Amino acid sequence: MMAEPIPVAMGQGSSCWGCFQSLVDMHLRLADVLPLLDIKYWQAVVDYKLEDLENYPDKSIVVGLYEGMARTEEDVHLLKLMRQKCKVLVAFGTCSCYGGIPGLANAWDIEECYDVKFRENKTFSGGKVPTENLPPIEPVVHPNSDYVDFDIYLPGCPPTSDLIVKAITALLEGKELELPTYTVCHYCPREKKETPIPEILRPFRGNADPDRCLLEQGYICLGSATWGLCEGQCVSKGVTCRGCFGPPPPITQDQGAAAMSMLGTYAPLEPEKLKEQVPDPLGCFYRFTYPSSRLGRMRIRREELKEASEE
Amino acid sequence: MTEDRVIRVEPVTRLEGHGALTIRLGPGNKVKDIQFNVSSTRFFEKFLEGRPMEEAPRIAPRICGICPIPHHLASVKAVEAAWDVTPPPAAIKLRRLLIEAKQLSSHAIHFYALAAPDFVFGPFADPGVRNVAAVLKHLPDVAVQAIKLMEFGQELCRDIGAKAIHPTTAIPGGMLSPLSEGDRDKWLRQVPEMMENINKTVELAKKVVNDYIDVVTKVAVTPTYYIGLSNDGALDIYDGTVRVMDPEGKIVADFKPPEYTEYYGEYIPDHSYATHIYYKPAGYPDGIWRANTLARCNVNERMATPLADEALKEMRGLVGRPSHHTFAYHYARVVEMVQAAEMIQRLLEDPETVSTDVKLSDVEPKAGDGVGIVEAPRGTLLHNYVSDDRGMLVRANLIVATNNNIAGIEKSLMDAARFVFEQDGLKELSLPEPLVKT
Amino acid sequence: MATTAETKTQDEQWEPRILAFCCNWCSYAGADLAGTSRIQYPTNVRIMRVNCTGRIDVDFILAALEKGADGVLVSGCHPGDCHYTSGNLKLRARWALLEEALKQAGVDPRRVRLQWASASEAQAFADGVRIIVDQVRKLGPMKEAWK
Ligand code: SF4
Ligand code: SF4
Ligand code: SF4
Ligand code: FES
Repeated sequence: MMAEPIPVAMGQGSSCWGCFQSLVDMHLRLADVLPLLDIKYWQAVVDYKLEDLENYPDKSIVVGLYEGMARTEEDVHLLKLMRQKCKVLVAFGTCSCYGGIPGLANAWDIEECYDVKFRENKTFSGGKVPTENLPPIEPVVHPNSDYVDFDIYLPGCPPTSDLIVKAITALLEGKELELPTYTVCHYCPREKKETPIPEILRPFRGNADPDRCLLEQGYICLGSATWGLCEGQCVSKGVTCRGCFGPPPPITQDQGAAAMSMLGTYAPLEPEKLKEQVPDPLGCFYRFTYPSSRLGRMRIRREELKEASEE
Repeated sequence: MTEDRVIRVEPVTRLEGHGALTIRLGPGNKVKDIQFNVSSTRFFEKFLEGRPMEEAPRIAPRICGICPIPHHLASVKAVEAAWDVTPPPAAIKLRRLLIEAKQLSSHAIHFYALAAPDFVFGPFADPGVRNVAAVLKHLPDVAVQAIKLMEFGQELCRDIGAKAIHPTTAIPGGMLSPLSEGDRDKWLRQVPEMMENINKTVELAKKVVNDYIDVVTKVAVTPTYYIGLSNDGALDIYDGTVRVMDPEGKIVADFKPPEYTEYYGEYIPDHSYATHIYYKPAGYPDGIWRANTLARCNVNERMATPLADEALKEMRGLVGRPSHHTFAYHYARVVEMVQAAEMIQRLLEDPETVSTDVKLSDVEPKAGDGVGIVEAPRGTLLHNYVSDDRGMLVRANLIVATNNNIAGIEKSLMDAARFVFEQDGLKELSLPEPLVKT
Repeated sequence: MATTAETKTQDEQWEPRILAFCCNWCSYAGADLAGTSRIQYPTNVRIMRVNCTGRIDVDFILAALEKGADGVLVSGCHPGDCHYTSGNLKLRARWALLEEALKQAGVDPRRVRLQWASASEAQAFADGVRIIVDQVRKLGPMKEAWK
């Protein structure tokens, strides 16, 4: 006897669809999972329209996933709508949890962003910002949690397919989702000797010893400031961690601040040298969490005050 | 009634990306205007600025999670071009393997998950049924064969790229990790099953095309320019010159990536956040081109591998060259899938693919201007970066695959809409029985 | 008219609010000494004692700024004199990264100051306080800086 399929929905805000692809990448396990689902809304998969979602009774969808950040008014609308219609709402992926890579745009005014996108670049000049039949762009990216409360945060850029299967299975069974809280270092097979770093190297420099901690060899690695739900995918292939799963629990921690503190501890170099060797702290330590970080919050507040003073 | 009727489709479903359609119909169902409203943008061009340029290949893939590998590689090629760096041959083989694996899985997912529901259940079945979940329920064999192809491609990407989605191993000067012999052997063992699934896919595609030949040859036949990479006339997705074909089928340009600004025009429409790319010498809208599978097959004389070349010939027998048939994109997708499969086999059998000499150790950043072009599943993808003397990125111009197609999509939707609304063509059209009736 | 007058007084009344982290072994004692030796320094600082500047996480500084401090001062043992050998060097390295990150995020790094002052350098401590207070006074309230 098969149980009744459970009503689910997926909302996709401004995103890259990588979280969606990661879900599809559960491969043959799809054959087990899909029959359990009654898909009520999911633009990538079924032809239901926004209107359909708007017309469902409140809380009639058992589990909803929201991928992406809220770059446009339409994204904000969809996010709130998902909250209204879903019993359990999951912040699906790092964009949804923390703002993600596209949140880096907050380091500039929206007008500066428009300049290179629509007004002047190598292949065009004198363009105007498009407006017809389009949802307006939000001047600054707020973390999704500024708009709605989530029941579950499932970070990762993207979350791994294994993690998604685990989460979906627990949710469908109505069970508590229990996740290990280790950092990436825990899963990293490389040997650590706790030696300070004499010099910070850019990642293309030299050839790294495949068995030693990359950080101790001078390559910036955010493994120790990052939730290890990926089980160390990059570091086990010779690539430094850039922190795409965000901070370990409690995930309200500031990953960038933690990473800077960690690096200062490991590389107590002369300030001038360090500034030279780490040319882009914001893009390195806050790559995935800028909108929800403390620095990012200060920035958002500034944009809000600007708007308020313009009104 | 003089009022125009506006039909709004929101969101456009089963298509990667965020968009809506606005169709304006005048009196007598005259199709006045069609807009493809791409409704979001995230400003990668801006926030790549100020980053050390070697980080771009780790950031830019987030433009698209369906085709992150082409972004990863176009990006690393742009950095290498700016810094005058040539990676070792084995690194290039690994990158080629990576992009072919992606091509395979992406085409498989597109063919089976996005397009198949229409011909399995018929284009007018209920939305609750006309989707991939139902394919799985009603045609488990077909679904399993599709999933296995996707799995092969995605898992091979993971082995080479560390992550299948948003890979991280390509770095200016090569790759951070070689492919181990053990892993190579594991993949070689799976090649025969993969090839078998490819053959079944080709059979299915042929059947569908023949069943729907009326649709293919009558609906949305839209002459445009075409753009695609070419390796001396053979279809290549990692490297080559950029070819442009005009609507009559003449190759009007064949240029090296750094010359792109002479040929690429970018039009900023008022109704889409995604811009429209066109053939600059012909102007807009005359120079609207299309990229993607069919475009690549049009601009190239031949495929690079034998089975794929046979498949291409067979396709040309049905639709000709150039083919302006929008629905032939699905067929061309299968032709390319065959090439990807053959390429994967060839690369896995090449001993150099497991060489450990995959990375230079003496890369020096410098001021420069570099262009990297590869073919993403959905079309020609271009990254252009300018760096300062420390190798920091100061300016980026990104022309993603989709933008090459948007104006062309509008054009072919216009043709389709005229057929449906003005000529009431659906009535005349002969459609086969759906494979599965619901 | 009344409103203008009121705004004016508000502006005039604004005083920088500075949070200072002082190392127990040097600067905290220095601050103490400044008090007992009647060395004057502005009253805008609230001092928090830490056992070593090495204990200071970048997050402390950012939390203070986010929650409304107009500036942050950290005062510790001179390099070489840290009671835990190198706590201050670690903090100094964190500081370098922090300053750059602040700049990139559009926060003026003159809102934060790192200085060294031993237990006997009451005057140096007081001078440092004056410097940060003056700097921040020129920059204005954190809130204004956001506009
Ligand atoms: S979290 Fe990463 S994979 Fe998911 S939508 Fe955002 S950028 Fe894409
Ligand atoms: S810092 Fe990076 S390389 Fe070192 S142990 Fe942690 S994850 Fe591994
Ligand atoms: S190792 Fe780091 S960057 Fe790589 S997937 Fe894991 S969290 Fe993301
Ligand atoms: S004990 Fe004073 S700074 Fe370490």
